[in-house]
Amino acid sequence: MDGELEFLFAGFAVVWAGLFVYLVLLQMRLRNLHEEVETLEERLAEYEASADPAPSVTVTPATNSEAATVRSPSDP
Amino acid sequence: MSAVATQTPENCPAALTSVLRGILALFLWATLPLYNARWTLLPALTGVAMMAMLVGAVIAAPREVIEGDVQRLMYIHVPSASAGTYFAFLIAAASSAAFLISRDIRWDAVARSAATVGVLFTVITLATGAIWGKPIWGVYWTWDARLTSTLVLLLIYTAYLLARSVAGPNDEQAARYSAIFALIGFLDIPLIHFSVDWWRTLHPQRIIFDPRPAVPGEMLLVLLIAFIAITLLMLWLVALRSDTEQLVQRTDRMRARLDQREPA
Amino acid sequence: MFRKDFQLAWRDRTGWLSAFAFAAISILVYSFAFDLAATDVRPLLPGVLWTTFLFVGIFANGQSFQREADAGTFDAMMIAPVSPSTIFFGKVITNLVALVLIELALLVLATMLFDTVLLTAELILVVAIGTTGYVSLTTLLSTLGSRARARAVLLPVLALPLLVPLLIAGVRATGVALDEPVGSAPWMLLLSMFALWATVGGALLFPLAVER
Repeated sequence: MDGELEFLFAGFAVVWAGLFVYLVLLQMRLRNLHEEVETLEERLAEYEASADPAPSVTVTPATNSEAATVRSPSDP
Repeated sequence: MSAVATQTPENCPAALTSVLRGILALFLWATLPLYNARWTLLPALTGVAMMAMLVGAVIAAPREVIEGDVQRLMYIHVPSASAGTYFAFLIAAASSAAFLISRDIRWDAVARSAATVGVLFTVITLATGAIWGKPIWGVYWTWDARLTSTLVLLLIYTAYLLARSVAGPNDEQAARYSAIFALIGFLDIPLIHFSVDWWRTLHPQRIIFDPRPAVPGEMLLVLLIAFIAITLLMLWLVALRSDTEQLVQRTDRMRARLDQREPA
Repeated sequence: MFRKDFQLAWRDRTGWLSAFAFAAISILVYSFAFDLAATDVRPLLPGVLWTTFLFVGIFANGQSFQREADAGTFDAMMIAPVSPSTIFFGKVITNLVALVLIELALLVLATMLFDTVLLTAELILVVAIGTTGYVSLTTLLSTLGSRARARAVLLPVLALPLLVPLLIAGVRATGVALDEPVGSAPWMLLLSMFALWATVGGALLFPLAVER
């Protein structure tokens, strides 16, 4: 009976190992995407700063009461 | 840091809101090191714990006399039911509350992720319950109080995900509505438990099943390990999913900013 | 405040009458489906009544909110200098009165159809408390849903799982009122607790739900 259990264990171990590796790979991809998004956000901010130097009224609902400010590249 | 303006809800006294925000900030500050470790410590711990659980459940744990090896499913079923579902939904409810307090849309991403993982584990709970039940009870489903409550829970959070997904990832109003629902859903759990439990004790159970009668020590130890493993796995999945959802929110915002600049 | 709600409800009385018609038809549907003519009805009656009440309640609540949203009266109410909690209670009380009237009419109908005495004080109390519970919850939930179309379909999906305790307790408490054997659990207590929880929760969360 115990012999069968070892096969069961091997099966589950393989499944878990596979799942674990998949999740780690997913995590690595996520980190890369994270960095990419940060870079893109910076570039977008620079583009907005250069293309629109005059203060403009933004349409987003998140506007503060003070005059619309240009987002600085250092904004996280 | 937050991408949306923080408006004080007009009808909450300002003092209460400040206190709640303070508590939230304190909590976040206290758990920050843990949060930063989620990419290193959490996967490592989860890997080890899951392996330990496997060894324990399949090999080390004694074979149950009456039910046989099928009973080993208990080591997945019970921790999934408790840690995987209730803990995950607790995180979803707490994140929803945090969102309602702070108005930071990122909490909505966390809530959605926790709910998704919770639903996943609920399905696992019900499935392992059915697989375990068929050889033991002869049926896939018994209107056992716990299983039935779990099914209702599944319906609640599936409805939550459904309702939330109708709107976009940065839709603050939809997020607020959904957060209220997630919170109320979680607060409903004790009432659901009582009602279903009392309902089921009316009729003499064909099979009265209690997975935790007098559990021998070794089984209890493996159960504990399994509980820790599933909790860690749940947390890791929530972390992965939540980070992904937050990235989606950021790209969605970028797209909106670019769209604004399109020539009219 | 309440008077305005009642006025609105009175103007929408066709909507409420349709709700009653829907409820009456439901009773007939159950009669056909479960052969309530031939079988002993009494054990089934609480279930028949409560499922009908719940479906009508959800349907009617959704409809009345939809009408308000379409007519723009909801937004007007929001701008008015009234606290959202007051608005919530106004809606709850209006819907409660309307639904209890419908339910009483249904009880009369069921009394005649099934030859059972239903208009006892105990039963009416059970119905009143239970209705408070589900009206509070569905009033809160009817504000949810940012897309009008999705709201109508979603409301039952959202509301019914949350209402499970109310359904279970309501049916059993009604059974107690009809002297059916339903065990000795304190159903009335659970029903009242649910109603209290739903009303308090609704009052606390409604302001969050409707603010801009």
